[in-house]
Amino acid sequence: MAFQILLNFFIAVVWMFMTSSLTPSTFIIGYIIGLLMIIMTRRYFRSRLYVWRIWSALKLTAIFLRELIMSNISVLMLVIKPDLSTMQPMFFALPTELEQDWEITLLSSLITLTPGTVVVHVSDDQRTLYIHAIDVDDVDEAIDSIKNTFEKAIMEVSRG
Amino acid sequence: MKTNDVILQTATKVVFFIIFLFSVHIFFVGHYAPGGGFVGGLLTTGAIVLLLLAFDLKTIQQILPFNFTIVTAIGLVLALSTAGASIFFNVPFFTHAYDDFNLPLFGKTSLHTAMFFDSGVYLVVVGSAITIIQSIGGDD
Repeated sequence: MAFQILLNFFIAVVWMFMTSSLTPSTFIIGYIIGLLMIIMTRRYFRSRLYVWRIWSALKLTAIFLRELIMSNISVLMLVIKPDLSTMQPMFFALPTELEQDWEITLLSSLITLTPGTVVVHVSDDQRTLYIHAIDVDDVDEAIDSIKNTFEKAIMEVSRG
Repeated sequence: MKTNDVILQTATKVVFFIIFLFSVHIFFVGHYAPGGGFVGGLLTTGAIVLLLLAFDLKTIQQILPFNFTIVTAIGLVLALSTAGASIFFNVPFFTHAYDDFNLPLFGKTSLHTAMFFDSGVYLVVVGSAITIIQSIGGDD
């Protein structure tokens, strides 16, 4: 992915020298031409086209913002009208398929930033995250909701 | 108990550069805006202390293989020689000189010898603070 961006940048610089005008607008035109060339020659690259990765990073940001607003509202309702008889705070373990350090850091930051859940510990083999949640009805449902939103989105950014 | 610091360490690797960049910025704007050698030096120390907290002392001594006592000495010599150099130009001790230069890339820039004095202060602050922390933390 880094190689594709570098190549695109390089094509843009070559375009600037060819047209012998060193302005930002020439650079942007050269960058777009380079992007079209990379899309045409996409079969030569081993990894996916880098545009898709930027797109999935944007999607991850959108998912995060949506989750942030939704869980803020649900915690607000919990604070305004606490129902202590049915409230069920608990710790649970979340098995994760993420491997790299930055992926785990990103996942735990996203879980911690959404109100209602806090990552308290990462296991030594980095396969399990221990999470505290204020109000959980069903553990499997909570695990599934994190896995389907954040983990899937992070995997889309880092893999393939 | 040995805990898994993966979140702290990964975040430190990113945040370190932001703090370091900000300390350099604070150091350079000192003449026209709040900042200067002292806070710049302290902020650099803060960045290194963050590395020390996230990783251990041996790793940091490997990636920053300076003797910080000598860094302090270099800073003192730099500050003293900036102040003393004015004697050779027949002006009172500690007189600074400045002028405008047309540098490539930067454009019209005013360069001032107070910068060298500030660099001395910066090095003394970084050197002495890290020496204190390393000598206290190094006692096993």
